[in-house]
Amino acid sequence: MANSVKLEIITPSKMFYRGDVELVIARTLEGDEGFMCGHSWACKLLDIGELWIQEKGAGKDDFKVAAVAGGFIDVKDSIIIYTDAVEWSEDIDMERVLSEKAKAEDWLTHNEQTGDPNDVIKAKIAIAKAITRSHVAEGGYRRKR
Amino acid sequence: MASNSMQDIKRRIKSVTSTEHITNAMKLVSAGKLRKAKAIFEKTNENSHYITHTIAEMFNNSQDIPQEYLAGNREIKTTCYIVVTSCRGLCGGFNSNILKEAQREIDEDWEEPIIYAIGTKGKEYFEKRGYKIYGDYLAPPENISFLETREMSLPIIDMYNKGEIDEVVLIYTSFISSMEQEVKNVTLLPFEIEHDPEIIRNEKQVEYEPSIEAVFNYLVPKYVEMMIHSAVVESATCEHAARRMAMESATDNAREMLDQLSLFYNRARQSAITDEIIEIVAGSEAQK
Repeated sequence: MANSVKLEIITPSKMFYRGDVELVIARTLEGDEGFMCGHSWACKLLDIGELWIQEKGAGKDDFKVAAVAGGFIDVKDSIIIYTDAVEWSEDIDMERVLSEKAKAEDWLTHNEQTGDPNDVIKAKIAIAKAITRSHVAEGGYRRKR
Repeated sequence: MASNSMQDIKRRIKSVTSTEHITNAMKLVSAGKLRKAKAIFEKTNENSHYITHTIAEMFNNSQDIPQEYLAGNREIKTTCYIVVTSCRGLCGGFNSNILKEAQREIDEDWEEPIIYAIGTKGKEYFEKRGYKIYGDYLAPPENISFLETREMSLPIIDMYNKGEIDEVVLIYTSFISSMEQEVKNVTLLPFEIEHDPEIIRNEKQVEYEPSIEAVFNYLVPKYVEMMIHSAVVESATCEHAARRMAMESATDNAREMLDQLSLFYNRARQSAITDEIIEIVAGSEAQK
């Protein structure tokens, strides 16, 4: 069994997760990265993406999956993930995700050239978040393959 | 005469009783809201601590952080004041304490300030005095979401980066206990993090990705957002605490008044009865 490391996931309003884990896979701005006990100290920005957690004592393929809306990860002797929003795969409301995605896409097709660049970026982020969440709701992109 | 004043006193007793009912009910409601707000506040407080800690750690561990957020590298001309007040009254000196402090701060500054008002009370106050109000947030603060604070803080950070404002000061009420609150003013930007000897230098190299500037440029706006968010939540907690206190003393005062009034009422009634007896006695004496 691999050594475990303490993980805390913090959002502005609550402590989302706290526990001992063996492996965390998070999407940094430069790609997916796995963090385990004894990782060199790091402070990295996270992209919108999936977060995979293998809890202490869990099986080899037993992951908890969550959707993360960007943030940063601080790896020291323990790992702290700070994010604006995070959801477990089972808590995702698919209907809301799809309607939000449709709304953003609809807006983008009409306003991509003419709209305020900030709004265009916002819409693109909304779509990226929706795609991530729908992947996560289905058990994660990796698992689907 | 006696019956007249008796009726007067009775009327007053009635009105004071109904006031007492209202203040007592408001006190109970505020106590409930305070409990809820306090739970949220405690959680937020715990979390915002992490971000400030991380930033402080970065300051202590590296030399090549961007300088634009640090104190002392630009002249401070225009200051943006974020004043957190409540939307409702009847909470004792809660709002006036904040506004007094804000006014004092602003008076010290000879440049024209930019005011960002959170809560209607602050907005009304500064509007009346002809200050320029850059923006406001007027919904009840206890259910503010992080997203909303973000929308509030983004333009402020933007203005700071463009050089339109040189300083961001946050004025809010800080929660010490249910009985005690204190007005605080915090300078959010530029930073004045000293090289604090308490935080030990990391002996290990820390990897920053994509780069230390990028991480830092992400953290600073986050820090401002976090601070504003937790200030709003904290101030909401204080508002309820202040209102509970104010209502409690109002209820106490009303009860005291009722005691006094019922004493007067009984006295008046007694003297009316005495008068009547004297009349009867005098009448029967006269018939003898």
